Parts: sequence; C-alpha cells; structure tokens
Amino acid sequence: MKVATVNAGADLADPASQAWNGVTAEAVALAPVPLAAQPTEYIREAWANRAYGKTAEARVAAATDGKKLYVRVEWADDPAPNAEFQDAVGAVLGDGPLDTLGSAASPLALWYWENGRGALNLVSKGPGVVTKADASAVSGTGASGGGKWAVVISGPASASKGKLGVAVWNGSNEERAGLAAVSRNWLPLE
Amino acid sequence: MTANGTRQIAWVYDLNKCIGCQTCSVACKVLWTRDEGEKHEWWCSVNTMPGLGTPKGWEEMGGGIDPKTGKARPGHQPTRGEFGGGFDYNYYEVFYGGTAGKAHLEPQAPREGRWAMNWDEDQGAGEWPNSYFFYMPRICNHCTNPVCLEACPTGALAKRDDGLVLRDEDVCMGDRFCMEACPYKKIYFNYERHVAQHCIGCFPRVEAGVAPACVRQCPGRAVFVGFLDEEGTPVNNLVKKWKIALPLHAEAGTGPNVFYVPPLSPHRLNDDFSIDYQTPRIPPEYLESLFGPEVHTALATLSSEMEKVRGGGSSEMLKTLIAYKWQELLGPFTVDPADIVPTV
Ligand code: SF4
Ligand code: SF4
Repeated sequence: MKVATVNAGADLADPASQAWNGVTAEAVALAPVPLAAQPTEYIREAWANRAYGKTAEARVAAATDGKKLYVRVEWADDPAPNAEFQDAVGAVLGDGPLDTLGSAASPLALWYWENGRGALNLVSKGPGVVTKADASAVSGTGASGGGKWAVVISGPASASKGKLGVAVWNGSNEERAGLAAVSRNWLPLE
Repeated sequence: MTANGTRQIAWVYDLNKCIGCQTCSVACKVLWTRDEGEKHEWWCSVNTMPGLGTPKGWEEMGGGIDPKTGKARPGHQPTRGEFGGGFDYNYYEVFYGGTAGKAHLEPQAPREGRWAMNWDEDQGAGEWPNSYFFYMPRICNHCTNPVCLEACPTGALAKRDDGLVLRDEDVCMGDRFCMEACPYKKIYFNYERHVAQHCIGCFPRVEAGVAPACVRQCPGRAVFVGFLDEEGTPVNNLVKKWKIALPLHAEAGTGPNVFYVPPLSPHRLNDDFSIDYQTPRIPPEYLESLFGPEVHTALATLSSEMEKVRGGGSSEMLKTLIAYKWQELLGPFTVDPADIVPTV
C-alpha cells in the first residue's frame, strides 16, 4: 500500500479532513481471529458458539507528513446498541503472525483506538495478550455517521517502511481483546 | 502452611450474628472505593437473603466451572444497571430548598429499573406470620481455583502466597472476561478508568498485621479472619474441625475461601398461631441451595451445642462464636491500625 506524502500542516489527524481526499483507500478483507488461538479456556468456551470478528471489510488509507504515519480506517458501523462495550480499531505493525495479532516470540505493535477511550499504544503478543507501551507515541480520532466509522490512528513515521494490518472490534457484539476481525494479509507499505 | 509454602487467608461470617448494619461495607467503601468511577462499587456488600442481591440476580448469571466438563462455564457480565447505585441525591433540595415536608431524599435517576446494593433490604420471603430473611455479607472469595484469573488474557490477576487474588490495574485492559467468569459476580467495572476492580483483601493492612476492615469494624463480632490451615485458630476450628462454617455455592467449583455459619431460624407458626416445633421458618432446602447438603449437619451441630449449654454444659464452639474477646476474631492480624506508621 502506498503511503501518501502530504505537506506538513495538513490535518491528517482528522478523519474528515480534506487532506484525505487525495489519498487512495484500499478495500481490505478481514477475518475473525481463530477461536483456537484465543488465549484462555474461558474465552474459547464462552465464544465457541458465538460469532465474532463480524466486520468483513474495511477501507484503509495511509499517509505521512514526514513526522508521523497516519492510518485511516473506515468500516460499517453496527447500529445495535451496547452500553457496555465500544467499537474499536487497531493498526497492526511489525513482523509476525497477523491472524493471531502476534505471538510471544513475535510481538506486534498495535496502535489501538476505542470509542470513548481514545488511543492506546500496545504491544500485542497474541489475541488480547497485550501490554501497554509509551502512550504518548500514538494518537487517534474517530467519527461515526452515515452508518460508518472513520478513524485515524497515528504513530511514529518510522513505521512507514514496514507492513500494515488492521483489526476491528464490533462493540455491539461485545468484541474486545482477541475477539476481533483482522486483515487477512499484510499490506506492505511503500 | 501447605507443602509449597503457600497459605490461604480465609474469612468466616457468622450469619446468626450479622445484623445487617452495613458497617463492614461502609468501612470498605471509605477505605478503598472513593476515587474516580468507584461510586457504584461495593467490594463488600451486605444483602438480604433470599433476594436478588448485588448485582441484581447474580446467582443466575453463570460463570464458575462446569461440573460435567470441568471447563470454564460461560457467564454473564453484570451491567451498570444490574449493579445499580452510584446515585446522586437531592440533598440540597431537601436540606436547603425551603421544601420542608414536601421533598424527600431520592436518587436522581429514573424511577424505572432503579437498583443498588441492598435495594431489596428486608424483603426476604415467606408468608406472614412465617416470613423470613437473613443478612449475608459478600466479598471476593479469594478462591483456591480463581476462574477470574484463568479467564484474563492479559495476565492482570495473580494469586499471592497468602492466598489473596489481586489485580494489577496497570496491566488490566478492561476486557471483563473475569467479570463473566466469576460465579460470585464480585468484580466491578470502573467505567471512568476502564479497569475491573474487586476486593483486595485489605492487603496493605494485612501486610502490616492489621485485620481487613470488614472484620475489624464489625460491631456484631460476626466476622473471623485467619489462615485456613492454621490449627487451633477459630477459622480452622469453625471450617475444618467443627465443620459448621460452609462455603457459598461450592458447586461453582472455584474453591471459595469465605465461609458462612448458616442461620438458625425460629419455628414456624401454625394457622392457629401455635408453634410448630418441627419446622424451621427458613426452608432447609433453601439453605441447602446456598451452602450444600452439609448445611443440615452444620445446623444440627449448632443446635445440639446450644442444647448442651442450656443444660448447664460448656461448649468451645459456642464460646468461639460468641467471641468474648473480640481480638480472637482477628486471627494473626491483631495490630491496631492507629499504630502503623504510613510508608507513603
Ligand atoms: S459489620 Fe458485621 S454485623 Fe454489620 S453487616 Fe457487616 S458482617 Fe453484618
Ligand atoms: S470470588 Fe470471583 S473474583 Fe474472587 S477469586 Fe473467586 S472467581 Fe475470582
């Protein structure tokens, strides 16, 4: 995926910004993180007969202003209300098993954004097996409307040379931790 | 102490002495849950039984271990509404609003579906004149087999060498599988800080030799604490030797370490108000549903010890339960909290 270079000063942090108009978005197919890879027996038992990772597709675009890498993700918002869990999205970066959101041996960076909670900088060692890293390195802004979510997550521009994956959590379906839909293939950034 | 050097802190609540005064729950609240997002949290809650309790309908929410498969059993995550509470009240209106006799103290929340800790106080069950109820304090059971810990994907929970099950809030991501898995529904969610929270067994006190607040503050002398396997102690005697303190819902399979001396009850009254000496007012099958079939033996033991004392005899068991010296309730944690030097 091409990382568009945009003038410093363009407001890439805002998903509704004009700056994104000239950046090509790619349709990316998502699949649920496998049940067998879920890290605890409780999660495997509780979700054995329950569908998760319900988001099938996302539109992904990437841009940089030289300082930061901005990833914009757009996907269909499930309108079913849920007062307990929120919709969330992550940009996955690094080198490791994408379908399980990393592993103990090959952790991945997870720039995570959750509605109402903001951005978290996480290290992901498996589905939901995350630790918190320097929070100031990652930011995010999201907006929903017209049946869609559009979220921009950003982090250090050094990530622009690697590979990108995305993960989406449908809060209406109580998806959280490893109960996500994740892109089927890495998108090499160039 | 067990072979691997671990011990287990355990609590015994004597339900024949608990007067439902909520001193334990308030002592806990004042100490631990006065910060951001903790208004609705009652790590120690006291409810009337039978009742829907805290959170509302918790006994029907699943979790624990499936006795057939031996695996974790799916459970429901109690919602904000099911815990309820955390209300603001119209204090200003009542005290300063010039509305004397008109306004009364009321939660500032929609009437429909209101609920809170102890919301169904003293409702109980049964038909007059044979209605019945008793109080039951509940805290985290610091289980021997903590399913909350097993369910957590981030490894935020740990069982310490003293048996307490504690959470590292910096590691907790707020995924709430622990809340689903816990069959006692004693984990709360802090919606402001986005972490789950539960009873910490007053570990900073315990480490300084001070008893947990729910034990030390109880005016009813109804709560004992100590190490479960330390022979000769009240907790060990009540649970292991005399077997009159029983775990709650042991069938959930987590090995709870909070035990209850089950409640004796008055006799039933017949239609003509004569006393039916054969039938206790609290249905034994209800108590069995809480404490298992052992409850019948426990109640029989208590009754016969009481008979013995009434006949002029002496009973170690009753002396222990009466707790003539209140320090005996505190197990090894006898230090006065006023005597400890704060370290921070
Ligand atoms: S402080 Fe003691 S008597 Fe009062 S509610 Fe708690 S356990 Fe019962
Ligand atoms: S009572 Fe619930 S929260 Fe406490 S240790 Fe047992 S399973 Fe965990």
